[in-house]
Amino acid sequence: MSHAPANPPRARTEVLADGSTVVAIAGDWSAQVATPEITFKGDRIRLTAAELGGFDSSLPAWIHRHFRHVRQLDLSALPRRLRALVELTETSTSSEVDAQTPGLLEQFGDWGLASSSSWARAFEHIGETASACGRLLLGRARVNWQDFWLQLQTAGVDALPIVALLGFLTGLIMAYVGLIQLRQVGATIYVANLVSLAMTREMGALMTGVIACGRTATSFASQLGSMNVSQETDALRVLGLNPVEYLGLPRILAVTLMVPLLAIFATFVGVFGGMVVACAGELSVSQYLTQVVVAISLKSFLVGVIKSVAFGFIAAWAGCYRGSVAKPSALGVGEAATTAAVLGITLIVVSDALFAVVFNLFNF
Amino acid sequence: MTTPAAILTSEGLAIGHGEQVIMSGIDFQLAAGKILAIVGPSGCGKSTLMRSLSGLDEPLGGKTTVLGVDLATAAAAERAATLRRLGFLFQGSALFSSLTLLENVELPMREFLGAPRRDLRALAEYKLALVGLADAMDKLPSEISGGMAKRAGIARAMALDPEVIFLDEPSAGLDPMTSGRLDELILKLREAFGTTLVLVSHEVPSILRIADFCVYLDPDAGRMGAYGPPRDFLSPDAYPKAHAFFSQARIP
Repeated sequence: MSHAPANPPRARTEVLADGSTVVAIAGDWSAQVATPEITFKGDRIRLTAAELGGFDSSLPAWIHRHFRHVRQLDLSALPRRLRALVELTETSTSSEVDAQTPGLLEQFGDWGLASSSSWARAFEHIGETASACGRLLLGRARVNWQDFWLQLQTAGVDALPIVALLGFLTGLIMAYVGLIQLRQVGATIYVANLVSLAMTREMGALMTGVIACGRTATSFASQLGSMNVSQETDALRVLGLNPVEYLGLPRILAVTLMVPLLAIFATFVGVFGGMVVACAGELSVSQYLTQVVVAISLKSFLVGVIKSVAFGFIAAWAGCYRGSVAKPSALGVGEAATTAAVLGITLIVVSDALFAVVFNLFNF
Repeated sequence: MTTPAAILTSEGLAIGHGEQVIMSGIDFQLAAGKILAIVGPSGCGKSTLMRSLSGLDEPLGGKTTVLGVDLATAAAAERAATLRRLGFLFQGSALFSSLTLLENVELPMREFLGAPRRDLRALAEYKLALVGLADAMDKLPSEISGGMAKRAGIARAMALDPEVIFLDEPSAGLDPMTSGRLDELILKLREAFGTTLVLVSHEVPSILRIADFCVYLDPDAGRMGAYGPPRDFLSPDAYPKAHAFFSQARIP
């Protein structure tokens, strides 16, 4: 983009006998070309512009950069309009102080403080959510019920197609892999047990929880983060409404209610997906269904439902929490959505592992 | 008739929201280096007029040109080149929230100026110093007050040394000292670079101090009520509503 100008910007310094320095500015000054570098000593500088051609704001910017800390700066020889632009600026050094890069130890300390504060904020939000739930049970919570019904629709009913697709494919894949292994021992009939038990106890809830994180938690984080940006949550506070109670609770309740229903739906669709593969091979529909009824117990069904309630709660909470602490910027809202999905999925997988241990301990 | 020196013209301009015309019959010409103030009661369409004049919105009728170009009908390349010669301060400042003030001002420079990075940084620092934000250039928009955001928005509007700057309520949210400084800045910019300025303002003392011409929009008539030097509106012979506006808002 740079062009070599016919009369490039120049600056020449000359130290006078009295110790002062004269800086002669010459040429055409444009922000499209590089400005000259100069070095000078002393605190008494006089700027002259006898050979100055045209200029844009790159010249006053150059003067500002080089001479803003000079104690005695004589601008009287400059053209009036240039002088006016230089004199209009304020001198400041604070940005240079701010620009110092912190050391490695300081950075580590900052990271530690930020991490501990982030954990503290997360626990605080859990506490606020629990307290809001308590007030709801006591009938003292102010909840936006309109949001609740809307979220039942958006987080629940609207998610049916994606839950159906992923549930069907999960069942189908499990049956396919299972058949390959079970055929080797002549036990293909047990593919129905494998698919139905896995979908009921594990995959139905897990898949739905992950979908809720990707779809609903990110949406909540964006919504609440945007409300942070536009100070809507502050507006609620000054109205005496608790944002966690008013905005968070209806979302958490709606998702905690809908995810188990979606998980049950995903389980049925997954079992159906398994049936498609099993019955395309060596099993009949009645054989498959008979095995499914034998395999699924009320206990397994309850395990799936309990997990899905927890996963629904985790997904909704992760979205609300990350949204509530989102930085008030476009980037902050984007980060909130991403971290909500990551946090939600991580917590769901960790809690799934904990559930496995606990259910095993109690032989459930 | 358009005079050759007119840098901004409006001929029978009609503006509005969607298809609904809220103001029509807007006629004026502004010469280069002049300062135009758009005034009128709240909600009369001042910001909408400014958007049409700067090419952000297409007019619903009539024609407007800036720097000799009708932005509504210009080819894409000519339109883009013309827009780069304009600066715009939005009512809400519209700073990029994830960039520091310095980065906000530097952004258009990096895209369109050929000087090295070091010079662009100095230029951005200078523009922020012009609006008195030398101490806050490393801050994010979320960390500064509304008045500071307004000043940072002005610095960004000035980033490319535009020939015409549109300022939507530049004094709103500023303390009287800063507001006065801003008036001084506007006058010095005009003096140094011959910049033409168009501003929406309610500050009558400020308008009387800096504006060369005034457009008064009359929402009751749905038309431009008057156009002329602001001091003319102080005369009892002036357009009655414009006279009332200037008289009531004037410092006693």
